[in-house]
Amino acid sequence: MSSRTLPRLLQTPAVIMLLIWMLIPLGMTLYFSFIRYVLNSLRRPEWTTPSFTNWRGFGNYEFVMNSKDFLFAIQNSLFIVGSILFLTVILGVLIAVLINKAFPGQGLVRVMLISPFFIMPAVNAVLWINMILDPVLGLNGLAVEGINNIIASMHDAPLVGWFFSLWPKIDPISFRATQTSAYAVIIMVTWQWTPFAVLIFMTSLQSEDEQQKEAAILDGAGKWSQFRFLTLPHLGRPIAIVVMIQAIFHLSLYAEIEIVSRGNGNKNLPYLIGEFANNNIGAASATGIFAVILANIIAIFLLRMVGKTLME
Amino acid sequence: MAIVAQTSKLGTVGRPILAWIVALLFFFPIFWLIFTSFKTDADAVKPEFLFFFTPTLDNYLNMTENYDYWRFATNSVITSVLATAVALFVGIPAAYAMAFNPTRRTKDVLMWMLSTKMLPAAAVLYPMTFLAKGIGLFDTHFVIIIVLALINLPIVVWMLFTYFKEIPKDIIEAGQMDGVNTWGEIKEILIPLAWGGIASTALLCFIFCWNEAYWTVRLTTTDAATLSKLIEGNRAPEGLFFGRLSAVSAAAVGPIVVLGWFCQKQLVQGLTFGAVK
Amino acid sequence: MGRIVLENVVKRFDETEVIPPLDLTIEEGEFAVFVGPSGCGKSTLLRLIAGLEDATAGRVLIDGEDVTEVSPSKRGLAMVFQSYALYPHMTVRKNIAFPMRMAGMSEAEQNERITAAAKSLNLTDYLDRKPGQLSGGQRQRVAIGRAIVREPEAFLFDEPLSNLDAALRVGMRLEISEMHKRLQTTMIYVTHDQVEAMTMADKIVVLQAGVIEQVGSPLELYKTPRNVFVAGFIGSPKMNLLSGVEAAEYDADTIGIRPEHIDISMKSKKGSWEGTVGVAEHLGSDTFIHIHGIPGCDPMTVRAGGDIEVKHGDKIYLSPQAEHIHKFSEDGLRIP
Repeated sequence: MSSRTLPRLLQTPAVIMLLIWMLIPLGMTLYFSFIRYVLNSLRRPEWTTPSFTNWRGFGNYEFVMNSKDFLFAIQNSLFIVGSILFLTVILGVLIAVLINKAFPGQGLVRVMLISPFFIMPAVNAVLWINMILDPVLGLNGLAVEGINNIIASMHDAPLVGWFFSLWPKIDPISFRATQTSAYAVIIMVTWQWTPFAVLIFMTSLQSEDEQQKEAAILDGAGKWSQFRFLTLPHLGRPIAIVVMIQAIFHLSLYAEIEIVSRGNGNKNLPYLIGEFANNNIGAASATGIFAVILANIIAIFLLRMVGKTLME
Repeated sequence: MAIVAQTSKLGTVGRPILAWIVALLFFFPIFWLIFTSFKTDADAVKPEFLFFFTPTLDNYLNMTENYDYWRFATNSVITSVLATAVALFVGIPAAYAMAFNPTRRTKDVLMWMLSTKMLPAAAVLYPMTFLAKGIGLFDTHFVIIIVLALINLPIVVWMLFTYFKEIPKDIIEAGQMDGVNTWGEIKEILIPLAWGGIASTALLCFIFCWNEAYWTVRLTTTDAATLSKLIEGNRAPEGLFFGRLSAVSAAAVGPIVVLGWFCQKQLVQGLTFGAVK
Repeated sequence: MGRIVLENVVKRFDETEVIPPLDLTIEEGEFAVFVGPSGCGKSTLLRLIAGLEDATAGRVLIDGEDVTEVSPSKRGLAMVFQSYALYPHMTVRKNIAFPMRMAGMSEAEQNERITAAAKSLNLTDYLDRKPGQLSGGQRQRVAIGRAIVREPEAFLFDEPLSNLDAALRVGMRLEISEMHKRLQTTMIYVTHDQVEAMTMADKIVVLQAGVIEQVGSPLELYKTPRNVFVAGFIGSPKMNLLSGVEAAEYDADTIGIRPEHIDISMKSKKGSWEGTVGVAEHLGSDTFIHIHGIPGCDPMTVRAGGDIEVKHGDKIYLSPQAEHIHKFSEDGLRIP
């Protein structure tokens, strides 16, 4: 009883710090979500200081649920996260299988492939939205303009000119627009996180049992059967982990959304909270509680799925 | 032998070529960032200079003048290094306790720690701002260090826990028999034995701190603002300053990308909590 | 120095009682071996003595002093682990010096003891190597060296030979026995291998499910096993146990007869039992014959001379030596 007490106590600082980090701000969020609390109000200056006298019950929650952006933000959160997960897992498995076996320059290929993962989100967003996806000055715009110029130059060509003159002028896609800004975020985050999936799948592939594969070959399994019945099941656990870790990170995407379109046509819950927090703290807090609930639902689901394999 | 027999000619030649194409595609945006950083702002948006231009170092030489780069970089270094130190200082004893002196609740504690990572930061955005301003710590290194340390603490503890688990319990017990106290166990046995694991945990924590872009943006204005804030605040509307923005962006991510190359393996083990090796 | 007494010691992990209340005395200078099948609690018992596990109830006394609440390092015991538990980041010299350094011993004294220990364990040439560069046997020696230099009240060995190959094991067994004769220090040795127990021990403690089945010298255990479990566990090959009609003849529920206490005959039909040879294992010095067809015991093992010629399917006639028949009652206890 005595000798192990001190060593066990050594985890308490970490636990207490995390507990405080969780409980105090979350408690305040919960409190603010039930009161009227705004940063500026000329009409009702008493609402600018948090107090129980401004109790609003579930009013903030109703207000948030009735706001036009709320449902959209939830849908959009799930759309963005789901799309990224889908793309990174598929691309990750394909690329990992592609580069798994030794070939000339494998080391360099690995280094190039992993690099995007270390780019800070702000730089990632700035780089993609300006220098690559910009419809005028980015590579996107330049490429489209180049194609248009080539077609235009063919108009005067003998014999086939009439054919090219029938072609319309192509318009580059603007990724800052309402309809497309979510895609821009999905593209840039997929670019950043596919390397992560590749790295993990590749590591896992290297621990794949070669003898098992050879046995399968002797049993007459073709390439596809080997992949389908040996490799894919072997990747089951890493895929689950990749999904969990990415879900943790992508549910709170913020910088990319802010930089791409300032939330135009593309809000997620964190962004919506940020918008409310410019003035209406009550609503921001209620949205925050919704975000916590959503995160918890996903967390329970994911921890069930992955938690056990982690503890083995 | 069987494997060799099955591999077609196309596979042996086509596979590496395809792999190279994919790798170049993924690396291209980074290459393009560096490439553009050597163009003048004016050249950077002219199609005729897309590939052929007169390279210049001005964008890098003028980083201080244009963006006050070094001030932000210094803040990034200070906050990331100290936050990593704090996370390790708290995380090492915690992971030690859980790895070598587990109780029935240890697994739950670990899972709970991981679940705090899932708490959306935005949900506590305003309370944090409110608290930081209330105690006069808004826009200070201190608050950024504490927040960065705390948001990375679960991953630090998890990573260390998986590394520590690999040390045979016998060795720790031999130490107890040989007369070390708890502090001695950590200092004389644990830290020397898990040195590699601790270093890679520190490296990964540092990378996460450096790249963090929510709290560092929302809890600072000028004094403690990091490179994330700098880039976020200069997102260059409509193609102005592409050259100089590329240079400062490259300078902001360069050190980390290089660091990352060196810790790929540890990254996998760390990020998957040892479940993938 | 080095008398160890356990009084009413109990160990529970959560709800499961690994060791029910247990009393045991190990005399000064004794070589005691805890033996039993895996999971019988023998290692837990050793770790309780070492202080690596806390007793749920009861007291542990060393030389009359209650050490139940004393930390492992203050009990004056040294332990050799199954995995050797060497510090991989330290050289052999530093490994051996470690407990002395922790005790704050002077450098000169440390070096003196290291030199002496290294000499007696044939480690002098390896002092500056790391454990990773040593063979299994050498690592084992380092672990012993680390224990010796502390000059402990008692040595605790937790299955120290089970990671070695068979040949090395015999050699190390002798070395440890010799070390005990030389040092005359109390030693407690845990093993699942009854051969190790028989060859090394002054006193064997047979454990099953946390309960002490019998305590005694190797020969006592061999000659007068207190119950069926000990009878079956001690001795190699195992004692043959018969129940039913054959046992009833001797007014017992179960009777036991060791393979070396059965006379055989291939031709004459006299003898208590008739059977057929299954497998005959020729070891050179002995032959172990496994015989089928004897009621209540299949197969029955018999130890015969090395030059006997038997083959699969031969008829064989057996007669147990009456004075060596062990009789057990219904509750498994020995009938005198």
